[in-house]
Amino acid sequence: MAPIPGSGLAKGLAVTLRTMTRKSVTEQYPEVQPDLPPRTRGVIGLFEENCTVCMLCARECPDWCIYIDSHKETVPAAVPGGRERSRNVLDRFAIDFSLCMYCGICIEVCPFDALFWSPEFEYAETDIRELTHERDKLREWMWTVPAPPALDPGAEEPKEIAAARKSAEKLAAAQAEPVAEPTPGPAPGPAPKPAVEPGSAQNPNTDPAPGPAPKPPAPGPASEPAAEPGPVQKPSTDPAPKPQEGDS
Amino acid sequence: MNDALDVALRLLIVFVVFLTFPLIVGQTEHKVMAHMQGRLGPMYAGGFHGWAQLVADGVKFAQKEDVVPAGADRRIFQLAPAVALLPYLLVLLAIPIGPGEGAVGEVIDAGVFFVLAVMGVGVLGSLMAGWASANKFSLLGGLRTAAQLLAYELPMLLTAASVAMAAGTVSLPGILDAFEWWWLPWQIVGAIVFFVAGLAELQRPPFDMPVADSEIIFGAYTEYTGLRFALFLLAEYAGIIVLCGLTTVLFLGGWHGPWGADGLGWVWTLLKAAVLAFIVIWLRVTYPRLREDQLQRLSWTLLVPLSLAQIALTGIVKVVIQ
Amino acid sequence: MSPAAAAATAAHSMTTAAAESHGFLSPTGVEIAFLLVGLVTFGAALVTVTTKQLVHAALWLVVTLGGIAVEYLLLTAEFIAWVQVLIYVGSVVVLLLFGLMLTKAPIGRSPDADSGNRWAALAVAVAAAAALVWVVVDAFRATWIDLGGPAAGSTEATGASLFQNWVLPFEALSVLLLAALVGAIVLSRKAKTEKSSPPVNSRPATGSSPSVPDSRNHPVERNGSVKGTESAEQEGGR
Repeated sequence: MAPIPGSGLAKGLAVTLRTMTRKSVTEQYPEVQPDLPPRTRGVIGLFEENCTVCMLCARECPDWCIYIDSHKETVPAAVPGGRERSRNVLDRFAIDFSLCMYCGICIEVCPFDALFWSPEFEYAETDIRELTHERDKLREWMWTVPAPPALDPGAEEPKEIAAARKSAEKLAAAQAEPVAEPTPGPAPGPAPKPAVEPGSAQNPNTDPAPGPAPKPPAPGPASEPAAEPGPVQKPSTDPAPKPQEGDS
Repeated sequence: MNDALDVALRLLIVFVVFLTFPLIVGQTEHKVMAHMQGRLGPMYAGGFHGWAQLVADGVKFAQKEDVVPAGADRRIFQLAPAVALLPYLLVLLAIPIGPGEGAVGEVIDAGVFFVLAVMGVGVLGSLMAGWASANKFSLLGGLRTAAQLLAYELPMLLTAASVAMAAGTVSLPGILDAFEWWWLPWQIVGAIVFFVAGLAELQRPPFDMPVADSEIIFGAYTEYTGLRFALFLLAEYAGIIVLCGLTTVLFLGGWHGPWGADGLGWVWTLLKAAVLAFIVIWLRVTYPRLREDQLQRLSWTLLVPLSLAQIALTGIVKVVIQ
Repeated sequence: MSPAAAAATAAHSMTTAAAESHGFLSPTGVEIAFLLVGLVTFGAALVTVTTKQLVHAALWLVVTLGGIAVEYLLLTAEFIAWVQVLIYVGSVVVLLLFGLMLTKAPIGRSPDADSGNRWAALAVAVAAAAALVWVVVDAFRATWIDLGGPAAGSTEATGASLFQNWVLPFEALSVLLLAALVGAIVLSRKAKTEKSSPPVNSRPATGSSPSVPDSRNHPVERNGSVKGTESAEQEGGR
């Protein structure tokens, strides 16, 4: 309770007066570009080299605003006598931003890191049909995707880096005392792979490789234990890969 | 001929003041209110910090269609803005801004009565508008306007009477001639009551119950468009000018100042009025709107007794010092 | 109100005197203006009582009262003029309009705004006017006002005469007004208590009266001003 009657009124006056002397928070947008946070959901960019036409994004989209056309191509066998492989080729990838509600599910669900948020937001059109951004436009948005922001101090280490560091340590330990304990698994094989992984995840522009590298968990637990050194050491049972899948 | 020229010149000056000062106050309100709310306010019109915003608004209003509702009382509806606006023009004539004959539009013997009487007439415009619009919100606005006027006219008159008692005259230049610096603490209660009651009579926030746009749209002015609506707005801001000028003249000593009273008296008047106008805006930004019953209670249970006490005090001091 | 009335009477007498002395054929500008404003005022007054649009009547009353104020001004009775505007135009008419807005006054003509006894009203009005004119002319027969000289009706002169020569009537009127004020408060409080202690004996009374179906409409009128204004306000929002 205010001891002096009217002190509340005076306090109110003081608040407005103090606010007046401070800098105003208005953003003068057209003159001054807004300072948007890195995870701003402005527009969706497509990195189509990563796309495998798995259709997950189109299926998960609540608004059904992603259109994907593709066809199959057969790739001749890599080695003579080998089997021919078939591969999906993207014909059309379009997002209708007049339908999109910017939920970001497509980006979350993409197993190959082909879709990214870009903070660009100035793509208003006078014709609603122009808001259906085709493949080339979506790729242009890709170049505006900023590097992911640094993690908060004290945050958990990213999975990929953790794995890479672990194997690197193991390698270092193996090299330090090669005679004492000759471990078979962690030979040169695993070391380079984790080194590539974080790089491609963070900056996909520099990684033109279509598909295979970025996310290890997607291909499934069956192939993974073979590639990674850690699980190989253990008895290859089911429970080992499962928690990993859940984590990622 | 010289006389006629003189009169014409004075009228012209008052008219120009009448047309420009409200705009200045309006623009100041835009900017001050914005900054008090952490915004910038208008920034585009005219280039430099939106100085021409109100000019642009005026042009916009002039372009709009002048609509008279089908069920309205046509002539009264059209006449109302003029009735609301003209009294303030007349009052401006009587407010002296500097010492001597040259600094007042027209010396009026019963100046205090004149300004208060004519200001009261201005409210008739709102009443006419409220009734003639054939709109229930307008009618409610008109009712509230009338109730508010009846409640706040009394303390205003009483406090003005207190000053007139102190000065021994009801002429505005006469009051200023008699002014001494110690009137300021002597009449301070009266000054506050007068200012608050004046705000209420102008229907400025926090006393904007009659135009409360969140509940009765815009009160009596709901049905107005275009230039007529702009006239009502102009009347509100002209009212601010008049109220600030009057408070300055009656209670703050007008052209009297610590120094420079001879040549720069008008500067003092304008300065004081400007500070008061700022306070008007400040109060608007700070306080929420009073409810109708709070409004009435404030007047009848606080302002009227205070003004009566002020009159008693004035009388006592007056008798003692004589 | 008393100073206004006194000044009005004084003003009337003065003009008559002035007109007599100057002669009708060489009127001054002020006299012409006085006459014209007087005609306008008279016309406005006539419209006030004959118009069938209630709010228009109130607004014409504004014109009438304003016209009288102008007449005072022309007779150099400045103080009375502004008091006239302040009290009558600024307050009384506002009160009147306030009251009208609480009623169901329609926009346009009220069909029932015509009183049946208009001839009686006219007779009373003419008689009152004749009496007033006669009293005024008789009282101020020889009084003369010099329009060119110092203002005879300035604030100072009015105040001096009011508080030197006419103190007793002034104070008597003040007491009368005060009594009216107190009476109004007492009446309104009484009505309130009646309303708040609900109808123990009033309901049987209306029930026993022959007009039982109508009793629903009556409480508005019967229960006093407070309740009446409330319901009228609800109806007033057309």
